[in-house]
Amino acid sequence: MRRADPWRIVQAAVWLLLALLLAWPLWGILRASLIVGSEPGFGNFVEILRQPRHLRAIGNTLLVGAGGMTGALLLGVTLAFLVVRVRLRGRAALQTLAVLALVSPPFIGAYAWIVLFGANGAVRRGLMEIGITIPPIYGAAGVMLVFSFKFFPNVFLIVSAALAQVNRSLEEAAEGLGLSPARRLMQVTLPMILPAISAAALLAFVLSIADFGTPRLIGRDFEVLATQAFLLYAADLGENPGLASALSLVLVALSMLLVLAQRRLLQRDVFHGSLLKPRPPSTLRGWRNIGAHVLAWLIVGVGIAPGLVVLVFSFRATRGPVFQPGFGLASYERVFHAVTLPVWNTLLFSTAAVACIVVAGTLIGYLITRRRSRATAILDGVLMVPYVVPGVVMGIGFVAAFNAPPVAITGTGLVIVLAIFIRRLPYSARAAATALRQVSPSLEDAAISLGLSPGRAFLRVTARLILPGILAGGMMSFVTAMNELSSSLVLYVSGTITMPVRIYVAVVNGDYGVAAALSSILLGITALAVYAAFRLSDRKDASFVG
Amino acid sequence: MSAVTVSDLVKSYTPGTRVLDGISLHIESGAFFTLLGPSGCGKTTLLRCIAGFLDPDAGQIHAGADRLDTMAAHRRDIGMVFQDYAIFPHLTVAENVGFGLKARRMPPAEIAPRVAEALRMVRLDGMAARLPADLSGGQQQRVGLARAMAIRPRLLLMDEPLSNLDAKLRIELREDIRDLQRRLGITTIYVTHDQEEALAVSDSICVMNAGRIEQIADPFTLYRAPQTRFAASFVGSMNFLPARIEDGRLHLGALSVPVSSDVQGTVEIAIRPEDTVLGTGKLALAGQVAKITFLGREALAAIETPLGPMQHLAANPSATLLRAAGSAISLDLPTERIAVFAPDGSRVAVTFS
Ligand SMILES: Nc1ncnc2c1ncn2[C@@H]1O[C@H](COP(=O)(O)OP(=O)(O)OP(=O)(O)O)[C@@H](O)[C@H]1O
Ligand SMILES: [Mg+2]
Repeated sequence: MRRADPWRIVQAAVWLLLALLLAWPLWGILRASLIVGSEPGFGNFVEILRQPRHLRAIGNTLLVGAGGMTGALLLGVTLAFLVVRVRLRGRAALQTLAVLALVSPPFIGAYAWIVLFGANGAVRRGLMEIGITIPPIYGAAGVMLVFSFKFFPNVFLIVSAALAQVNRSLEEAAEGLGLSPARRLMQVTLPMILPAISAAALLAFVLSIADFGTPRLIGRDFEVLATQAFLLYAADLGENPGLASALSLVLVALSMLLVLAQRRLLQRDVFHGSLLKPRPPSTLRGWRNIGAHVLAWLIVGVGIAPGLVVLVFSFRATRGPVFQPGFGLASYERVFHAVTLPVWNTLLFSTAAVACIVVAGTLIGYLITRRRSRATAILDGVLMVPYVVPGVVMGIGFVAAFNAPPVAITGTGLVIVLAIFIRRLPYSARAAATALRQVSPSLEDAAISLGLSPGRAFLRVTARLILPGILAGGMMSFVTAMNELSSSLVLYVSGTITMPVRIYVAVVNGDYGVAAALSSILLGITALAVYAAFRLSDRKDASFVG
Repeated sequence: MSAVTVSDLVKSYTPGTRVLDGISLHIESGAFFTLLGPSGCGKTTLLRCIAGFLDPDAGQIHAGADRLDTMAAHRRDIGMVFQDYAIFPHLTVAENVGFGLKARRMPPAEIAPRVAEALRMVRLDGMAARLPADLSGGQQQRVGLARAMAIRPRLLLMDEPLSNLDAKLRIELREDIRDLQRRLGITTIYVTHDQEEALAVSDSICVMNAGRIEQIADPFTLYRAPQTRFAASFVGSMNFLPARIEDGRLHLGALSVPVSSDVQGTVEIAIRPEDTVLGTGKLALAGQVAKITFLGREALAAIETPLGPMQHLAANPSATLLRAAGSAISLDLPTERIAVFAPDGSRVAVTFS
């Protein structure tokens, strides 16, 4: 290169950032896992293999991963077919509610299920009064059930997008060849959306095995790797994080294996052309029509039920931590008097993290799509790493890396922000890359040939065109940032406590009123952000014609 | 407007494979210069090196007295027209055309008349306020042309600007481009893999193959006197037959004619279908008509000869000829129309006596 390219500097900065925030913490975990007492060795891994408790946690992790994935796939794929292929009343509402279910604070789901089906759960008690006894939700089955309803919106969004892309001529051709609807589905439609389904399945699996809040709250004695790593870590309080680190690595290795296996099985998604003729939804009649409506609304209804339950419970009267008959604002009063700090912290940390995520994600997305080289291909691969590192693990890694000089920042808000930043960066980079693929690279070349420097051409043309998409993505990042529990739980101190952590603490302490009120506030802000994202992406559609 | 010189340009994307393998060429000021070649031969790469979007590994590019290759792309003052139009979708037609002027910080009062003039040139007056989404492909490409012209560049580059348009529009727009280019006298490098388009508009055509230049010539010379076997086969259609030069004679199957040449041994002779003659002569091949394709003004006869298949193009075909499929004929190859190529593809100088 004889001429300066600003993107080379950007790329160098990105690598530096990843080295600091990703490689170093992971290296910290690896180092810690290989130290027993103060001697180097493989003792921690031997310990995992020797102790039935740890081996059981590995088995349990795989079990809930498979269970959560299967349930989420069943619900999500069914809903996708119903919404895309059948003319349903309130289709837009269904889609919106599915997205709301997706973004509603993750562990709120777990907590709401306890409220309904726990040992003292409202529904369970009600059923008992009419003589039906069901077991409380605690344990493996409960965890899998919650996962199914928690992660099906992910599957739904991915699969319905793919289904809408299936060119109708292909299916019409199959129809013309005399294939029955069932065989058409199996032989034409399913193979075409198989990449999407497998990507969705993988996502559900990875999310399930990385989840901390659900098994922690609902699992009771049922331990998975994420909860066990956290408990071990919390018990030692970072004194000897060797075993926790080793368990974390096992968890990361499991996720990584899955991702690699899926990549091997299927080539990467191909991007379809723009001349799509989507198939119009068909109108069903009679009981089939009713069945389709009931099924779709049932899936979505159960999906958003936790949020509603929490909202209702937040308005129940309480005395101290105990619910009383009737309604009132006592829980909110307690939140506004005593626990405002987490609210402000959450808003502050999320805003800071998202600002960084949007900028860095856009730049990285650009490098991956527009500056293709071996280095940027590796960068694309490295971005998969935060995706498979569960929050608990990232938190432990951050403690290992940033507890002592040269960078001693544990206990500050910054460390929480940075953990959220690195965890959510891949999503934003992917979103930017997707938006960039819709913008022809020659637009930027044209701007340069017309006299704008490369940096200004990027800002004035490319960035301008992908802005709505980026802002919509930023809003979604904001939602996930606000709802981050697991890494914050490892990293918080009393001054940097966030809403999700505070809710978690309240639930663990049985302070359900405060938990419900805080959760409802979180839900409200989340809904606002989602609404903003929707508005932004609508505008995006309008300005992208042509 | 300036003359352009490219010297010994080399470019590889991956080490070991040279996409441009020592390109040297000179373009007269104000010329319409076309890069013609098969897909993947490096046309776009060469154009992007000149535009400054790619850095060559070696070699130099000059425009007039300025050295271009060390200059940043946005300082080169080069207008570019893109295959996918690259019209900014968020700007109106007028804003698109004025984009380069604004980038040069020209006062708005001066921009407006320049934009209007450019739009008039491409016959889009009255569309200034439209958004690109409301324009047809042909109109969008006219905007692209006006936008590139508005900055009065020293050099205009076009990479297959017409390939996304339908046949009729392609011809209409290519004539417009040619007229405009002549009127403004702007040095233009045009990339296409459509040989008819190249012949129709160019002052000079550069035939490229696998990163190298095969021949640079005006359209007539290129068509009539191709200097390499590749140029002969790529531009227009051409019959090739195996032959030998031995003992001062050119042997074609059982036939032979006296010839003087420096080269001995196996060669290939080439002759265009329209240059072959039905009838007898010094080099007449016996053959059988396999198929006649009637094209209106002319007819194409596919003829099987013992030496291989041949094509004969007959102007104003007679009714007899159209019914000639299956019959035996004699096809004469007039020696003054024959080109001879060595096995390495280079042209062999021969004189038939
Ligand atoms: N970014 C790239 N990385 C690697 N190889 C490339 C890249 N761009 C082009 N090539 C290769 O370089 C060669 C020349 O490409 P180029 O685009 O210049 O061809 P072209 O003559 O313009 O072809 P076409 O007529 O298809 O546009 C091709 O073999 C192509 O595969
Ligand atoms: Mg090309």
